[in-house]
Amino acid sequence: MLDRRALKEIDLVTIGLLVAISLLGLVFVHSAIYYHASQFVWRQLAWLVLSLVVLFLFLLIDYKIMLSFALPFYLLMNLLLLSLLLFGKLVHSTKSWFVLGSYQFQPSEITKLAIILLLARVFSEYRDDLMSTRAFLVSSAIVGVPFVLTALQPDLGTALTYLPILLGAYILAGMKKKYVIIMLLIGLLTGYIGWNYGLKDYQKRRIETLLSPGQDPRGSGYHLRQSRIAIGSGGLTGKGYHKGTQSQLRFLPARHTDFIVSVIAEETGFIGILGVFLLYMLFLYRLFSTAWIAPDRAGVYLCFLAGMLIAGQFLINIMMIVGLFPIAGIPVPFISYGGSSLLANFLVVGLVLNVRMRRFAFI
Amino acid sequence: MARIYEDLSLISKRARITFFVLLAVVAVVVLYYWKLQVLDHEKYWKLAEANRLREVYLPPPRGLIMDRQKVVLADNVPSFKVSLMREMVKDYEVTIDKLCSLLNLNREELKSRIERYRSVPAFEPIIIKDNLKLEELAILEARKEEFPELRVEVEPKRNYPFHQLAAHLLGYLQEVSLEEMKEEVERKWHPGQMVGKAGVEKQYDQILTGKEGKVIEMVDSLGKSRGEVDRIEPQKGQDLVLSLDVDLQKKAEELLQGKEGAIVALDPRTGECLVWASSPSYDPNLFINRFSSEEWLKVISDPGKPLENRIIRGLYSPGSIFKITMALAALDRGLITPETSFYCSGSINLYNNNFSCWFKPGHGRLNLPEAIKNSCNIYFYQLGYRMNIDTIAHYAGLMGFGKKTGVDLPGEKTGLVPSSEWKKKILGQKWYPGETISVAIGQGPLLVTPLQVAAATACVANRGKRVVPRLLKTESTPPAYEQVPIPPEIFEEVIEGMWRSVNDGGTGHGAYQPGFDICGKTGSTQVISQETAEKLSQQGEQIKKPHSWFSGFAPRYNPQIVVTVLVEFGGMGGQTAAPMAGEIFKLYREKYVRQKSAEGN
Repeated sequence: MLDRRALKEIDLVTIGLLVAISLLGLVFVHSAIYYHASQFVWRQLAWLVLSLVVLFLFLLIDYKIMLSFALPFYLLMNLLLLSLLLFGKLVHSTKSWFVLGSYQFQPSEITKLAIILLLARVFSEYRDDLMSTRAFLVSSAIVGVPFVLTALQPDLGTALTYLPILLGAYILAGMKKKYVIIMLLIGLLTGYIGWNYGLKDYQKRRIETLLSPGQDPRGSGYHLRQSRIAIGSGGLTGKGYHKGTQSQLRFLPARHTDFIVSVIAEETGFIGILGVFLLYMLFLYRLFSTAWIAPDRAGVYLCFLAGMLIAGQFLINIMMIVGLFPIAGIPVPFISYGGSSLLANFLVVGLVLNVRMRRFAFI
Repeated sequence: MARIYEDLSLISKRARITFFVLLAVVAVVVLYYWKLQVLDHEKYWKLAEANRLREVYLPPPRGLIMDRQKVVLADNVPSFKVSLMREMVKDYEVTIDKLCSLLNLNREELKSRIERYRSVPAFEPIIIKDNLKLEELAILEARKEEFPELRVEVEPKRNYPFHQLAAHLLGYLQEVSLEEMKEEVERKWHPGQMVGKAGVEKQYDQILTGKEGKVIEMVDSLGKSRGEVDRIEPQKGQDLVLSLDVDLQKKAEELLQGKEGAIVALDPRTGECLVWASSPSYDPNLFINRFSSEEWLKVISDPGKPLENRIIRGLYSPGSIFKITMALAALDRGLITPETSFYCSGSINLYNNNFSCWFKPGHGRLNLPEAIKNSCNIYFYQLGYRMNIDTIAHYAGLMGFGKKTGVDLPGEKTGLVPSSEWKKKILGQKWYPGETISVAIGQGPLLVTPLQVAAATACVANRGKRVVPRLLKTESTPPAYEQVPIPPEIFEEVIEGMWRSVNDGGTGHGAYQPGFDICGKTGSTQVISQETAEKLSQQGEQIKKPHSWFSGFAPRYNPQIVVTVLVEFGGMGGQTAAPMAGEIFKLYREKYVRQKSAEGN
């Protein structure tokens, strides 16, 4: 099953960046929840090791074989989401979790993988230059079903992370540029303008509880305000590791998850943020660049959609913590605390690595 | 499976463009971070500091109030209070419920209290209970994790160790009202701060109140303190030394025990008040509590009006005390000489009205000193018969009646000196000469305060030098006198009468103290007219006794003390008020005069 040549081609640069970003996240998770950090950090470290192991095992399987199981995998994930809705217990006021002993598992994370695989599978046969209505409807349905199921949990935040994948599919399949731009603009403008100028506070609060349920009840303005204060007060060089008053004195909500970048910004300043963003963009470049050296159509789709998923979450997060986007409970892949999310994102990157290591033609 | 020769250039181009668009978007976001972190850094830095730092106001201890011998009349004791920090409250209903059961508070009162302070900035804590008991303190301490919105603090609480002693003079403290906070913004009051509401506490509030201190502490998002960053200690207010003499004051209050009335004593040389007793009294310690509505109601609803400072707010007819002023006026106007005499047959008919003397058999023929000594009404009716009401008003004004004495206490009343102009203005009627007759013996519309009587007596004692009564002990500065334009010889003639009144078997003999040359004048003011009184007594009914006055000074030459006594419904001045004044003179002599002469020897 595993070709020796393929093994040699494992992209150590991308894996190196991946581990570097994950460790960076770990370092700041430690700072963010300093007062009771150890168990969180150890647990996340364990997840990181597990994710790496699973990633290597994952690489053993040729992505083409995975593609052939894309539909049953996709159906299984949707079934899981549905059963959660029907039988799931409320954890953190949503039904997003399977509880196995002391571990919790979020199927909506792995669903991302299933969506990417199925879309790649479907579009691997699609050779038209422009997107047909049928292709539009099929791809929309593939993302739409799990989107609705996840949004109903209710976890609109995670559901929203599916949308960049769909957008990616539209772009690659050749939706007219006009429509793409219009959709993007509508999305961003309703987000930004609606949030900052259009909605009343109580409306915001309602949407907010929809986007990130179970959070601090102190109200809508509070999180954003504290996050902006944390970031702005960091200045050019930051307040120093473990010295961010906003994070150490717990003014920042969800410091180790959704607002981890605010912690980094407060403690390392603009310079630190610039460094983190550069590192992240370098990593994203490795993902996207695989798309344009992929050997087949399915490979291009896999890499591009994976890139879109990671980039989408990253972008939404760094925009929402400064108020350029509504506060939606979307964490930053690899940096934010969270086990199943880390594993799922590792597997998404695994798809790209898989394509890259098998990019040379087999005879 | 593999499609080696597939043309992927189109989708690969799309992927590339998308990535560069993404890169551009991230670049814009980075610019926004630049603005936030570098351009607006200052603003957010300040906000972060404001977040983590909390200023806690430290109340300054009030200055002490002491008597002239440095006996402490008002000090401070530590007391615990608990405040609600509204910034930390998430749900008022829940918090109010929990607090009520925790601290045994009245739900409605707490709610209205929170409502009342809505307009005050939220960072100012609201005091919800003070004078905490030890067990309450223990409960709060044990459950403080549960109530991050509560703050327990120690504060210096005002304490009056002598309780009701000189309460009207000292005044009391109460919580500053919202109106005061708005009106006097420059004093930077905090909600719940105690402020002088009466007496010296009010008059000298700014001096007694020290300078507030503050603690700057680091807090986390739950409002828990994580240590002090800075601390400025409060500065205690200035101490006040009053001119009051606690021993004399105690004596005076003892004498007034069970009576309604007032005793005031002052030093005519300086105006310093040595005694300031108004009865009934109250315990000002009761008012220091912020939440004592029951005690408060009890005090204000008492028919004896214990809160009323009778010395400057009680208005009474001066009665025969006013004969001093009449005598001065008549002598100064040249209507009589000291030797001018009138015949008292017990009654007189003037303007077709019968006026009688208090002494029914009549005094016979008497001159001015004898008339003062015996307080003969007929003599002064004769003077009133020969005088214009406006002349009387003029001389009453010279003696300080009808205007504030200027004592350093808030709320002083002016009293009333009738004149033809006054009657026209108030009643729209002409003044009838017949009305002047009753004014001549201090009845009629004439109203004075005990302090005005004391000040007028001091003016007589000083032979025409008027002093302003004062409550602070003066160290060196001689008081500003105001010379009344009446020759001193005239005062001597009147003083002769006052001396005889006490020392020669006159109406004031009750005040007599051997070895102390006391000069004084009694007064008994009818609360109802004589005819009604006679009718009532004939019907065998209990009649209300007249108010009883005595005002005098001692010694005759170089006077050192003026004592004025008023007892409401006390009976004849000579019987009730004069002996009480005598007791004060006696104690004063023992304490100040004999001691000095002993030292001299």
